[in-house]
Amino acid sequence: MTKVPEPGSYRHTIRLFLLLGAVLVIALVVRSLLVPDSFGVLGHFRLDAIEEARQSVLRHMEQDVCQDCHDDVVGLHAKDAHAKVSCETCHGPGAFHVAAEGEEGIHLPEGQRPCLVCHELILSRPGDFPQIIPEDHYRFVGVREFTTPCTACHDPHEPLFMDRDLRTARLHPLIHRCRDCHAGRFDETLARPEEHPPIFQCEYCHVQIAADFAQRPHRQVRCTTCHLFFRESDSSGRILRDADPRFCLLCHRDADFRSDEAPPSIEWPDHRDDMAETEGDLQKQCIDCHQDHIHPLKVKTAAVAGSGSEE
Amino acid sequence: MTVEFKNSRRQMLKLLAAGSGLLVFPIGSLVASERKPTADGKYIPYWAYAVDTTRCIGCCACMRACRDENDVPEGVFRTWVERYRVDRDGEVKVDVATGNDHVFEPVEGEVNRAFFVPKLCNHCAKSVCNQVCPVGAAFNTPDGVVLVDQAHCIGCGYCVQACPYGSRFINPDKHVADKCTFCYHRITQGMAPACVLTCPRDARLFGDLNDPKSRLNVLLRQRPYRLLKPEMGTHPECYYLGLDREVV
Repeated sequence: MTKVPEPGSYRHTIRLFLLLGAVLVIALVVRSLLVPDSFGVLGHFRLDAIEEARQSVLRHMEQDVCQDCHDDVVGLHAKDAHAKVSCETCHGPGAFHVAAEGEEGIHLPEGQRPCLVCHELILSRPGDFPQIIPEDHYRFVGVREFTTPCTACHDPHEPLFMDRDLRTARLHPLIHRCRDCHAGRFDETLARPEEHPPIFQCEYCHVQIAADFAQRPHRQVRCTTCHLFFRESDSSGRILRDADPRFCLLCHRDADFRSDEAPPSIEWPDHRDDMAETEGDLQKQCIDCHQDHIHPLKVKTAAVAGSGSEE
Repeated sequence: MTVEFKNSRRQMLKLLAAGSGLLVFPIGSLVASERKPTADGKYIPYWAYAVDTTRCIGCCACMRACRDENDVPEGVFRTWVERYRVDRDGEVKVDVATGNDHVFEPVEGEVNRAFFVPKLCNHCAKSVCNQVCPVGAAFNTPDGVVLVDQAHCIGCGYCVQACPYGSRFINPDKHVADKCTFCYHRITQGMAPACVLTCPRDARLFGDLNDPKSRLNVLLRQRPYRLLKPEMGTHPECYYLGLDREVV
């Protein structure tokens, strides 16, 4: 038999409210246990998470840290074409190396692959960036073994022996190369030449030098191989002449990995010391004697409209 | 049963006034991160990122550096590089660097245009991923970085689906959402993110939008740029300089 509440009794209502109150208290307790402390201070998230994200371990150091111990290499590096390549791009994160006080923990790249990651000719790579097809490059400079590491000739810390700061080099209109747009080895004939956008080639302006250069032993070498061009904007860049003897020696130094069809090679610095004209003169550059192998270094202008000059 | 309003017209007007007040001053604006110093006058930067697609050479040094710096497991990426090829018929082909070395394979063929596009989290000012997180584990910091509270994340993956840029993934080791943090532990110490540090061509730039003299601001004033998917209304903070029209 159920007990019938007296008329005017509010016990059932009070019970209901007590129950609701208990649920509310439990909910609040559970919520305070589940919701982290710093939640909602700045927004709908845990403020401490920002501090935790800040506590992650540093793996990459900065150039300054490398310079503390490797001042000589960093100084050399900062002058040449790889100046903008940070140490850790090639050598990997430096934190372990610093923690081990320089004993270990640094990556020393070997072979061709680390260089080709940037310098292999692949489609989409900007044309103003130096790229090679490895086999063609090795054949051109007469290297017998295709497995010879790049570092046999090129010092990655001083790849081009640039003799002046790029920022003071001469401004030059943008130089286009075929591989700005064309992948592969350019042996295909252009299908629709009338549609080709106008481009400047060296001989358009430097008429005399180009004509003269075509008769010289170096005619297979592109102008931009020695006249290094660095693009700065959509229309211009910096051009500089590389006349450092060590730059010439990149192709002409005698080495056991070179084949007989190699470019004429010499022993260095014996070659300089053996010659009567240069003996003892460390300032002598290759082109002081071997000018006739490239092109005249002084070219008279003004005779032909549109002809350019080279120092 | 009918509800009777006493002074119903007055109540109605009050309700309307309160409602329109909420519309004009939404409560969200009180907590949303804004580009301004805090109340105590302490300077707060607003970090942003720029990618110069005309300079990228696709060496993927950024991907390797990111992996080393942030212990990103194999198979998932906080940042990645895409290669776009627009062939003679206008058809667009996209591929990404593969393998553990993250290098692009040489491909043959004639193209009209071809270029690399590095991608990463856009750190949207109005990020979608934060809005869908059911537990409040995704958030914008006051200095403009979108972070994941990995201690709080339940790994439901809703944010991964919501991100229009595909920047998020579920970390296979930790089983929680993971993404680019702009290397938050580095930038708060005044260092550049690992990808910016290791980029050999300055294709990746990082800076403070609140500082009018920062290199990033100077570049954004001088050069044309595009944002990725601006129509999504996410206000991405990753500016693409010289970006081709085919990139989405």
